[in-house]
Amino acid sequence: MEAFLPVGFLLIFALLLCIGLFTVKRLLGPRNPVAAKLAVYECGVTPEGSARAPFKTAFYLIAVLFLLFDVEAAFFFPWALVYRESLAQGPALLIAMLVYMSLLVLGLVYIFRKDCLKLN
Amino acid sequence: MDAMDLIVTAVKTAIIYIGMVQVVPIMLIVERRGAALIQDRPGPNRVGPFGLFQPIADVIKMMMKEVTIPRQVNKALYLLGPFLVLFPASLVIAALPFGDFFTLFDKNYPIQVANIDVGILYVLAIGSLGIYGILFGGWASNNKFSLIGAMRSSSQIISYEIPLGLAACSAVVWYGSFSLREMVLTQEGTLFGMLPNWGIFYQPLGFLLFFIAAFAETNRLPFDLPESEAELVAGFHTEYGAMDFGTFFMAEYMNMATMSGLMVAMYFGGWHLPWVSDATLLQWLGSRNLLAALQVLTVVVKIAFFMLVFVWVRWTIPRFRFDQLMRLAWKNLIPIGLFNLVATALILYFKGAA
Repeated sequence: MEAFLPVGFLLIFALLLCIGLFTVKRLLGPRNPVAAKLAVYECGVTPEGSARAPFKTAFYLIAVLFLLFDVEAAFFFPWALVYRESLAQGPALLIAMLVYMSLLVLGLVYIFRKDCLKLN
Repeated sequence: MDAMDLIVTAVKTAIIYIGMVQVVPIMLIVERRGAALIQDRPGPNRVGPFGLFQPIADVIKMMMKEVTIPRQVNKALYLLGPFLVLFPASLVIAALPFGDFFTLFDKNYPIQVANIDVGILYVLAIGSLGIYGILFGGWASNNKFSLIGAMRSSSQIISYEIPLGLAACSAVVWYGSFSLREMVLTQEGTLFGMLPNWGIFYQPLGFLLFFIAAFAETNRLPFDLPESEAELVAGFHTEYGAMDFGTFFMAEYMNMATMSGLMVAMYFGGWHLPWVSDATLLQWLGSRNLLAALQVLTVVVKIAFFMLVFVWVRWTIPRFRFDQLMRLAWKNLIPIGLFNLVATALILYFKGAA
């Protein structure tokens, strides 16, 4: 745990920088709010409809797929750490990884075949 | 750990952090002059000698600008957004190794904010938190451009996180350690007697993946879809002005520096000079602290090189289309990353068996 102590220092410095930036911009900047200045920026055109418009389902799909693949990739990390040392005891870990990897690749092929990544 | 250690650690952390923040003004001028150089125009050359004081003028201007909070925004999240990007960008530098160690009062201190043994995991974990700031800022702006920019940004960053993670995973398999420091330590010496013993010669594919994903993670051209000004005005920071905009900018440059630092540590030998071992250097220089200074200089030069590559690529390669970007990540980079992982494991296996 002691190794993480300096991260605490860094946390404090980063917080100081953020607070500093926030106060400096507050103190130095002039304040002259005009209705036109505070309007939605849409290149001078009057805004049409709400900005909280529905977005494409593809973005949601990507988020879900990311969740799956990132969790799967996260499982590789503990394996990666011990793999080198485990080689002395034969290829057990290599085979385990290949089996797991083939499942992952199967999933990847499935999402390609289903065309989940259609964004255009 | 006594009080002295605490003070030294705090001062060391402060120095490294201030140094990393200095990347921002330096990159402001380097990027603008670099762009000018590539586009064959003079660039900013009026403020101070060769325009070197331009970043100071830029920063002062940004701070003196009016703070506008548009009427339609969700105020709390809008104000929080930029800082939620800057904060993780500041924290990730903790794991970057800048040198072996320096000696002070007969004690050795690593030239690194925190010598964490899960370094690469820490960087991946904290680094990906920045996405929240972009998403909050874009959503809270209540502007169509911002929302689309934030959507694109989040899907891009999460998509490229997978190849980035896979490349890092292959490196972990190769070095057998999560610690960036240990990775650098194993890269000393030469390979076949002529090449420096750097990670890039063992993990060329991994480096390429990491390199490409680094561009996408930092929202740099050719992958700056979140802020592609031709389509989305300024993407997720359309409604931001003054120092809020500057904060996003700072975070971007600091992320670039971190990514460069990671590439240097994992693939380009960290603080090692090619063909010269640390022991020889120590003999020449005679002092441990002089060697430490040289190591820091080496790392800084290597990082500076990658920062220049970032600028160079930005003004050389045109922007991708969004569906091309996604296809590149999912159909090319992820399979290549998986392949690289299997190949690394197999090579290690057969190398060990032989």
